Amino acid sequence: MLKVNGWSSRWASLLLLCLAVCSLITPAVTVKHENFKTCDQSGFCKRNRAYADTALATSNWASPYSLDAASVKFEKGILTGIVSKKIATTGETVRLPLTVAFYESGTARVTIDEERRQKGDIELRHGSKAKKQRYNEAEKWAVVGGTSVSTGAAASKDAEAGTTKIVYGPASIFEAVIRHAPFGVDFKRDGETQIKFNDQGMLNMEHWRPKVDKPVAEKKEGEEDVAAEADAEDEGTWWDESFGGNTDSKPRGPEAVAMDITFPGYQHVYGVAEHAGPLSLKESRGGDGKYSEPYRLYNSDVFEYEMDSPMTLYGAIPFMQAQKKDSTVGVFWLNAAETWIDVTKSTTAANPLSFGIGSSVTTQTHWISETGLLDVFVFLGPKPQDVIGAYSELTGYTQLPQQFAIAYHQCRWNYVTDDDVKDVDRKFDRYNIPYDVIWLDIEYTEGKKYFTWDPMTFPDPLGMNKQLDEHERKLVAIIDPHIKNEANYPIVEELKSKDLAVHNKDDNIYEGWCWPGSSYWIDCFSPKGREWWKGLFRYDKFKGTAKNVFIWNDMNEPSVFNGPETTMPKDNLHHGHWEHRDLHNINGMTLVNATYEALLARDKSEDKHHVRPFVLTRSFYSGSQRLGAMWTGDNQAAWPHLEASIPMVLSMGVSGFPFAGADVGGFFGNPSKELLTRWYQAGAFYPFFRGHAHIDTRRREPYLAGEPYTQIITQALRLRYSLLPAWYTAFHEASVSGAPIVRPNYYVHPGDEKGFDIDDQLYLGSYGLLAKPVTKEGQEGQDIYLADKEKYFDYFDFWTYEGPGTVTVAAPLETIPLLMQGGHIFPRRDRPRRSSGLMRYDPFTLVVVLGHSGDAEGTLYLDDGESFDFEAGASIHRRFSFVGATSTLMSEDLAAAAAAAPSKKAKDYLKLMEKVRVEKIIIVNAPAAWKGKEEVEISEGLDGESAAARKVTLDWHPKEAGKAAWAVVRDPGVRIGGGWKIGFA
Amino acid sequence: MKVAVALIYLEYAAHSLAASPDSGRPRGVSPDFAKFYKDAATFTCISNPSLSLPIARVNDDYCDCPDGSDEPGTAACAHLSPLSPQTTVNGVGAAGSNTTLALPGFYCKNKGHAASYLPFTRVNDGICDYELCCDGSEEWESVGGVKCEDRCQQIGKEWRRLDEQRQKSLGNAGKKRKELVAEAQRLRKEVEDRIQTLGTQIEGGERKVGQLEQELVEVERREKGRVVRGSVPKKAGKLGIVVGLAKQRTEELKEALLRVRGERDASATRLVEVEAILATFKEEYNPNFNDEGVKRAVRAWEDYAARDKGAEADAAHDRDLDALSQSDKQNGLDWEEYEGGDDDESETDVLYAFEAYLPPSVRTWLDAKLRSLRITLIESGILADTSSSSSEGESKAVSDAKTRLSTAQKDLDGHRKDLTTHQEDLDKPFGPDDVFRALKDTCISHPAGEYTYDLCFLSKTTQKPKKGGGSTNMGNYVSLEQIWVDEGAVPADGKGLGTGLRWAMKYEHGQHCWNGPDRSTMVVLGCAEEGEVWRIVEEEKCVYRMEVGTPAVCGEAGLKGKGGRDEL
Repeated sequence: MLKVNGWSSRWASLLLLCLAVCSLITPAVTVKHENFKTCDQSGFCKRNRAYADTALATSNWASPYSLDAASVKFEKGILTGIVSKKIATTGETVRLPLTVAFYESGTARVTIDEERRQKGDIELRHGSKAKKQRYNEAEKWAVVGGTSVSTGAAASKDAEAGTTKIVYGPASIFEAVIRHAPFGVDFKRDGETQIKFNDQGMLNMEHWRPKVDKPVAEKKEGEEDVAAEADAEDEGTWWDESFGGNTDSKPRGPEAVAMDITFPGYQHVYGVAEHAGPLSLKESRGGDGKYSEPYRLYNSDVFEYEMDSPMTLYGAIPFMQAQKKDSTVGVFWLNAAETWIDVTKSTTAANPLSFGIGSSVTTQTHWISETGLLDVFVFLGPKPQDVIGAYSELTGYTQLPQQFAIAYHQCRWNYVTDDDVKDVDRKFDRYNIPYDVIWLDIEYTEGKKYFTWDPMTFPDPLGMNKQLDEHERKLVAIIDPHIKNEANYPIVEELKSKDLAVHNKDDNIYEGWCWPGSSYWIDCFSPKGREWWKGLFRYDKFKGTAKNVFIWNDMNEPSVFNGPETTMPKDNLHHGHWEHRDLHNINGMTLVNATYEALLARDKSEDKHHVRPFVLTRSFYSGSQRLGAMWTGDNQAAWPHLEASIPMVLSMGVSGFPFAGADVGGFFGNPSKELLTRWYQAGAFYPFFRGHAHIDTRRREPYLAGEPYTQIITQALRLRYSLLPAWYTAFHEASVSGAPIVRPNYYVHPGDEKGFDIDDQLYLGSYGLLAKPVTKEGQEGQDIYLADKEKYFDYFDFWTYEGPGTVTVAAPLETIPLLMQGGHIFPRRDRPRRSSGLMRYDPFTLVVVLGHSGDAEGTLYLDDGESFDFEAGASIHRRFSFVGATSTLMSEDLAAAAAAAPSKKAKDYLKLMEKVRVEKIIIVNAPAAWKGKEEVEISEGLDGESAAARKVTLDWHPKEAGKAAWAVVRDPGVRIGGGWKIGFA
Repeated sequence: MKVAVALIYLEYAAHSLAASPDSGRPRGVSPDFAKFYKDAATFTCISNPSLSLPIARVNDDYCDCPDGSDEPGTAACAHLSPLSPQTTVNGVGAAGSNTTLALPGFYCKNKGHAASYLPFTRVNDGICDYELCCDGSEEWESVGGVKCEDRCQQIGKEWRRLDEQRQKSLGNAGKKRKELVAEAQRLRKEVEDRIQTLGTQIEGGERKVGQLEQELVEVERREKGRVVRGSVPKKAGKLGIVVGLAKQRTEELKEALLRVRGERDASATRLVEVEAILATFKEEYNPNFNDEGVKRAVRAWEDYAARDKGAEADAAHDRDLDALSQSDKQNGLDWEEYEGGDDDESETDVLYAFEAYLPPSVRTWLDAKLRSLRITLIESGILADTSSSSSEGESKAVSDAKTRLSTAQKDLDGHRKDLTTHQEDLDKPFGPDDVFRALKDTCISHPAGEYTYDLCFLSKTTQKPKKGGGSTNMGNYVSLEQIWVDEGAVPADGKGLGTGLRWAMKYEHGQHCWNGPDRSTMVVLGCAEEGEVWRIVEEEKCVYRMEVGTPAVCGEAGLKGKGGRDEL
């Protein structure tokens, strides 16, 4: 204890009081920064940031890269040539083969490799068995389509001297102007430059070089370093690097690839998920309110991650979009190694002579990867959907999930016994709360040995699955990539004997620590490994699983408790002798890929229930969207984490992986009841909606919250369930176009500059449903930004708002701020059921929201929600449109083309759905002219069948005190899968 | 609560079913609500009488009435609930409309078994809810081709079989409860008897103590005069030897002290170091990694850190040790002074020495005189009472008297304590008829998962790993309570709490739970023939709930709403 006296003791006690209070306020947990590298601690990042600094600080900086004009060839949409890198100190040049490909989709791709390494003409240190080439297989994992070469792309003859110009894209509105020296590419749309490569001269491909051991000069006291060495590059980070007690042997020495990409005139950039920060990326080179670290992509198990940070998280999508008024462009940096991205913005006075045009902001980005090819795809828009669509065409569309997967998931680490699971299942029914899936974390296994069940706590998994199946509920069980190293565990014995695990730098099996203690890691890069993995999920192999059991892949960054930065050493070796550093960010995706294949394989294709797999992953890369869902990892039961979840989910949406969500309630810690309730209200708008909790937290199943909380939470869950047809349609749209499921303001209103950085409200699909969940404690009102001059109506009571501008919506605890934008029609199913599967034959409600134009439209996609029959056309896809001028509502077939010669499956499905009808049509902001009208006329059989016209009742309700007029068509009885017309006139 | 309401309807419905046979009611309508559906032309919404519909709109699978009463046989009004999104279209907020469901549910006749209500949300959802609707009548629309055959004969039969068993078992349980009550009464009587006995014993004891106190005073008075001579040191020579030995031993001890002290200091330094390592470990380990080994270590460290540290390094204590380590001379002890030195005689010795020169008769007289003088002097505080200054010097008579007194005192205290305990015991609640008195300290064992659980009534609950290892206290008995339980109907096998007020025993302050509270257990009691733990749930981290069957709570008056079909 401090010795204090007299006046100072008063101060001391004040200080103590302060400390005591502070310690109450300060969250007890924060990320352990010392476990993760800063750019400065990551040699290649430090070198390239320094390189950038030099380039920027040198007024006459000349990038040492040039394209040999003579080497340039353009043939069938592909330009090739040799970029030379001139080494100032020795005068020698390094040959870097360049490929610029132009695809039919309008996407361009620039690839630069290193000739000497292509040929394998290098030596590796430490006798390493690693592959000598630069990693060129990222494409194999990430890219699945959209690479048919453009036939229309052509070299332009009017290229300026020293440049090559290729005209390409739809209607040839795109141009790539390749500058020879220094090498650079400008991408233009309609003659205007949108994206510039190496404009700032930061292109840097660290070529292979042997390590020359310089004699250590004896230094005399007081003597400065020899001046002659000042010119030499600092080799300090070229070779073996250590961090946190682990040494990376770096057998290939320095091999980074880096380049600046400039978006002239673009104020905002989005993407490069996953980070816990705002949707619109912040500048990263210091300054007020800006980051001082680059955005990092190096998939990691970040314990207790922090808010508003460019720090890396569990997954990586190196895809970035830039936004300016009415224009969106993007780049996809296809590299699986550790990557850092600096973002800076500069304001330039456009043309001092032109009046009325103010200054414009240009965003510069600097991409730095540790190894691999320089391989960049360019998307020139102009609409957000054009960019995300082109990216999705390349990396694949979101899997169309089973319907249960988009309903509510109940998870906890852990439900401790099979009886516990059954009890929770019964409790949901007792409290009339819908749910579809219950989850098991690692404790169900016997001693963390995957593919086993603890015989004490889960003696009867099949009985448990059976009970769940009675109400069409599913079980998701966790399977992680680390396999316990323990005797008499057949799985590990097979893994070892078949040599299917990841190897260490000496090419022996790599051993590390994870949940089970000493473990080995399945190498899913290996075809044999995947084949083996596939077999493990067969019902007769993974005993205790049934058809309603699905899989959760966690810890697949991979998380290695005793590894550098909680992951694998970079010099570990994978299949094909690629170093772990080459493919780290893809690693997680390969596991999910193998699991997905395994789930497909366990059901026979002729099986009636050959169902779509469901896999949840924590780690991901571009392309993971094809395989399942992701969640934002181990968040905390704290308001800032609830708040951050919305921009994070939005960011995933515009990154091509929209099936995303955050743990509802917060993983670590115990949420207050208010926080839990608000989190459910927000979670009802996550594409992936799962409540989850850490093993040390108190139970928090919705029925435990008590009133009024349980009731309010149930309302949020039932809202989600009633809107499932809309959600499912949005998922379908994502699965064919890559469109986000929940959408940020800029995506919906790309012409509204004021809304470009809005990331706390979201639109559901194309339905104009605008939600802004409350994410602050005690908040009772919510300001919602309306981008356009359109009418918006409160979802629940039809209170009318009008944009543009900000409106305030009352938001007491029981209310979710949710508006309906005029001009849309959305489908609902209003009958509450125990699970989504039990809603299959329920009738629909259509909500028609009329805005200024008096017209409205919306779509519905529906299929059996589980099988692949939709691929054979077994689906219903309708477009509903209300035309104000004629006062008619129509249902048209969107699948008409496919239905010309419907398959048996398609016909069977329609037959099955024959009785499913529209039970109610609600028209919000119904025309005043309908006053007194009591009937509407229905004509059916628009799809070919004949039926007599009939009349049904219309109830019209006048507007009152701020609320819109509305009308209800009483039981139109029209088939959801049929063509029909309703006349209101 | 809703369930409770439904259950009341259930009972009500069952009674009226017995009274009125089946008739032409609309689908899903129970006899109790039949009266609302009698009109052949129009239907009036039950809770909204201002709204009338053509009869064709009843059960047309479209919800017209704000209270849902027009759809007793479909799921069309299932969304009318405070659990659903509250919207204008559903009449929420509209003046004068009552949106509470007017009907308790879809009425399943369940011919051959007991009728019941099924929530509307389960009508025509493609699932046969035989638990409530054994006749399968709720899936009348056969959505998706589902067919729910009537299983009431079979289910009813099975139920009646089980019910019979259960009734029998309940009968037995009733008997057992009577036995328990009798046992409890016997035990109570025992306590009361004991209290009476104790009263008498205490009275006697008090008297005895009084006597013995008196006696002791007497003895002491007598003994004070007597001089003990045996304690005088003998020869100076012998003393010298003793002093020599003492000196040597002192030296040895001093050396040992120095050595041990050095060792102690070294260990203390190491301990500080180890504690610092562990404290950092606790700060920096990653709880998310949930490594059992690490968790155990952290837990153990927390327990250790929370424990009494024992004697803190005490400066005064160290100063004493410093002093002890110094040479004796510095401490003012000069062995030489004693080694050959004569011993001085005490004052009384002088007196006795003088006595030796007197003739025996005089001596005896003088002795008596001196003794009484001595007593007088001692009693008036002039002379020190050497006889009582050390127990060794105490005469046997005195110590015997003291022993007698203290034994009697102890007995008395014991009895008094016993009395308090027993009296408190009588005042403690042991439930109705004092029945739990009979259960006190009886235990039931129950294996579940990886543990065996022990419930000792009114004592404690424990958990013991089957794999071996020590048991963990899950709480000590604190109080008896009545709590509301809402578990639906009692299952056919009778092993369930049902719905209603139930007796519960609260156990708290068990072993502390890592990263959680002290363990606690709520033991909720249901009626059963045998004492049996039905279920153990960890409701929250280290908060347990045991559902326990015991005959003690059977047929318990005052606890309404047993639930289950047994009351139909």
